[in-house]
Amino acid sequence: MSEFLRRLTYLFHRRRHDRELADELDFHREMAARSGGVPVGNALHLREASRDAWGWTWLERLGQDVRYALRMLRRSPGFTLAAVLMLAIGIGANVAVFSFFDLLVLRPLNVRDPATLLRFHRRGIEAYAFAVPYPEADFLRRHARTLSAFVSVNTTPVTVEGEDKPLNVNFVTANYFRELGGAPAYGRVFDPAFEQDPAAEAVVVLSHAYWQRRFAGDSSVVGRTLHLNGKPATILGIAAARFGGLGSGISDTAIWAPLVSHPYFVRNSKLLTDVSNESPGVQLWGRLAPGQNPKAAEAELRALAAELRKQYPAAIWEDERLVSEPGGFATSLISGGRRGTGAEQRDPVYPIFALAGTLTLLILAAACANLGSLLLARGVARQREISIRAAVGAGTARLVRQLFTESLLLALMGAAGGLALGTAVLRWLLAATESPAWLDPSPDWRVAGFALAAGVGSAVLFGLAPSLKTGRPGRRPGSARQVLIAAQVAASCILLIVAGLLGRALNHASKEDPGFEYRQVISLRPGLAQGSYTPARAAAYLDSLLPQLRALPGVESAALSSSPPLGNVTISAVWEMDGRRIDVGMNGIDENYFETMRIPLLRGRNLRRGDTQAVVISESLARQGWPASDALGKTLPLDKGYTVVGISGSINAVKFGDRDSVQAYFPIQEADRPNLFALIRTSAPPGTVAGSVATAARALDPNLSVEVQLLGRNFRRRLEGAEYTTLAVGVLGGIAQLLACLGLVGVVAYGVSQRTREIGIRMALGARPAQVLAIVLRQFAVPVCVGLAAGIGGAAALSQVLRGRLFGVSHLDATAYLLAIGLFLVTTAVAAVLPARRALRIDPLSALRHD
Amino acid sequence: MPKQEMPSGALTLLILRVLQTGSLHGYAIAQRIHALSSEVLQVEEGALYPALQKILLKGWATSDWGISETNRKVRFYRLTDAGREQLEAELSSYTRVHDAIQAVLRTA
Repeated sequence: MSEFLRRLTYLFHRRRHDRELADELDFHREMAARSGGVPVGNALHLREASRDAWGWTWLERLGQDVRYALRMLRRSPGFTLAAVLMLAIGIGANVAVFSFFDLLVLRPLNVRDPATLLRFHRRGIEAYAFAVPYPEADFLRRHARTLSAFVSVNTTPVTVEGEDKPLNVNFVTANYFRELGGAPAYGRVFDPAFEQDPAAEAVVVLSHAYWQRRFAGDSSVVGRTLHLNGKPATILGIAAARFGGLGSGISDTAIWAPLVSHPYFVRNSKLLTDVSNESPGVQLWGRLAPGQNPKAAEAELRALAAELRKQYPAAIWEDERLVSEPGGFATSLISGGRRGTGAEQRDPVYPIFALAGTLTLLILAAACANLGSLLLARGVARQREISIRAAVGAGTARLVRQLFTESLLLALMGAAGGLALGTAVLRWLLAATESPAWLDPSPDWRVAGFALAAGVGSAVLFGLAPSLKTGRPGRRPGSARQVLIAAQVAASCILLIVAGLLGRALNHASKEDPGFEYRQVISLRPGLAQGSYTPARAAAYLDSLLPQLRALPGVESAALSSSPPLGNVTISAVWEMDGRRIDVGMNGIDENYFETMRIPLLRGRNLRRGDTQAVVISESLARQGWPASDALGKTLPLDKGYTVVGISGSINAVKFGDRDSVQAYFPIQEADRPNLFALIRTSAPPGTVAGSVATAARALDPNLSVEVQLLGRNFRRRLEGAEYTTLAVGVLGGIAQLLACLGLVGVVAYGVSQRTREIGIRMALGARPAQVLAIVLRQFAVPVCVGLAAGIGGAAALSQVLRGRLFGVSHLDATAYLLAIGLFLVTTAVAAVLPARRALRIDPLSALRHD
Repeated sequence: MPKQEMPSGALTLLILRVLQTGSLHGYAIAQRIHALSSEVLQVEEGALYPALQKILLKGWATSDWGISETNRKVRFYRLTDAGREQLEAELSSYTRVHDAIQAVLRTA
């Protein structure tokens, strides 16, 4: 039996052991008395010393401490409630942010063996793409040995019978469900045998959520026929409720169809055969073979890509690599189908989370600092109790431990409350943003552990210093208070400044001229590429569509563009100009674009029909690209030698108010025609014209998935996210400032009561009211100023992350800082002066009699 | 001759040594040490029982209930194999230290 086991056995039988020991000592005493020896000392003390040998004393003391602490907390329910509430808010905010981070980055998706899944994207020397042409994916599947399986997904909008708007259908390889562990709730799902049999009838699998919504959970729909793009397909089965699968973006999939039937559903689809970069391609996941690692897989795929390049030298890039990232997490879904040249533009997930986390930590810090002051004040009130306990023999360590146990209990209750609150907030947010059902915010062990750690961490923050101060009677809690005040001030100051910055940015964005007029513009995407139009057919379609659009009542003008501002499509490239790297927004336009978008042409001429090597650039590009000379007539640093014929006004299409955003307008490429948007300027309210625009586009081809958007609505939607953020930070800042003010009121009031006698003497000697106030407030001026300075510095450092998201407002914007500091100073001054006025009402005579 | 306090650390060694000859109860252990040291060493109860608990915890001795010479139920301590090994180890290290100290005292 090991020592530890003996220790445990003792623990479980410790009452019996105690009795036996007492017996034994009695015997010893009897024997000693009989032989006339010295009487045994304090028997109780002796027993305790013997028990100590087993090393369980701490547990008994802890039990005592916890019982005592519970009694103390129950006796002051107001304080307990306030403390737990404060902590719950502080911890809850952190739990919400961490939970979301956990959902996106840490928690594996609900698929089979997510750890061995890799998501691949293409990276060449100059370009990258998150979509892989299907023939390339298929080539890799057939030859790769380091990966046991590949799963490909192509998302295409499809007109579904009975739905007004096109739905995104995920076209997946036949091994999709088996590889990802997706069992059917009813019927069957695709199986790999399907892919070998092209003669098999077309089938689809419905997601559980879509089936519930559309067919109200009627299981008899299995086997029924559903028309997609007008083509009949049999409903093969319903996927299990919890199965989200892999797809495009964080969204609910409605329908899955086999990838091989893409040409059946989508007219003129070349998805299965087109290896060029124009192909929409597939999102590619691979499953590592047992014993393999991502490095080995990347090396093998690089060699395979080089092999395939011999066959397709134009489509497969030079030195093409297939870069992997963990594929079993929600982050691997976000990147979607982005492509571009130059360096990859990744979603700034981590900096945003870091900023959100820092802000919520500040709230917690403010709550802790405030609670710390409260505990200190309580400690003063408990001085009597502490002295009594010290007098009957409690050591300092024991007293400190006792007090800290109370803090720890508070913190644990706060953590539990925070966990509930944070989860509830996140659940509400996810529901409000219509997140997919599989994004389930129920806390897992990571979130629970985080809440616990936050609780213990806060207990150390708010409880340790007060426990140390209070547990050693006779020491005045002075400097700890000052530090706590400074910490609170700094935290709420940072939050107020960030809220001010966001508010300013929002105000700026909604007022500032983006360089074009969007309120009266409708954007129409006829969906020609999805309908698999050839460039020639697309040109014919557009040629007949545009005159019809212009003839509609309420329409002023119409134009074509490959990436209209405020849309979902942006095309950008990084150009090297004299060693400078410039991120250029590129747009293919026709001659009516500038007039329709109300973008002024500053110099030179517009693009004309038939132009091929001409380009119009924005004034900002002219300024940045040719700072010393005139850009007109210059040649762009591109292979095809475009000549600058005109200079237009700059617009802030991608990032509002970003004065450095630059554009280049090219003549429309023939190959690009199926991807074009039509932009329609209306004289009537655009909402009233949108319907007839859509009808006109469908009238030419009823099979198209037409999409109509109002740019004005897109603009407002783009601001919505910013509005939510500003509101959230503003609320947090308000809470922090309120906490700081409440803390200050208490501390100043306490300061006045401590110095009643001194103030009385000074008043008796003729001090004026202003001088009295100065005496009381002087001791708080230093920590407030220190906190303010730290807060301003902290805000300046933190808000760097926000650069580029402030719609052109500098992250050091003076107005925002001054407003926030002004608000801060006013509320702080009120919080300090209100209780300080009590000092003025002190009657010198009674103050001097005061003990 | 005045009674001497037990040097710390030595008590465990002495307890193990007197238990080597057979099992004893606590009071008898104290008496035995007292007697064998020609009444020089006095084992305080405050030291004896914590030391005995430690010996039990370490597994160097086990305890059984028996009847004392005064016909009372009492706990007898019996050395285990581990206890015998521990005694050997402590004895040899004690001897080494003792010899070393003696050598210094003789020659310095």
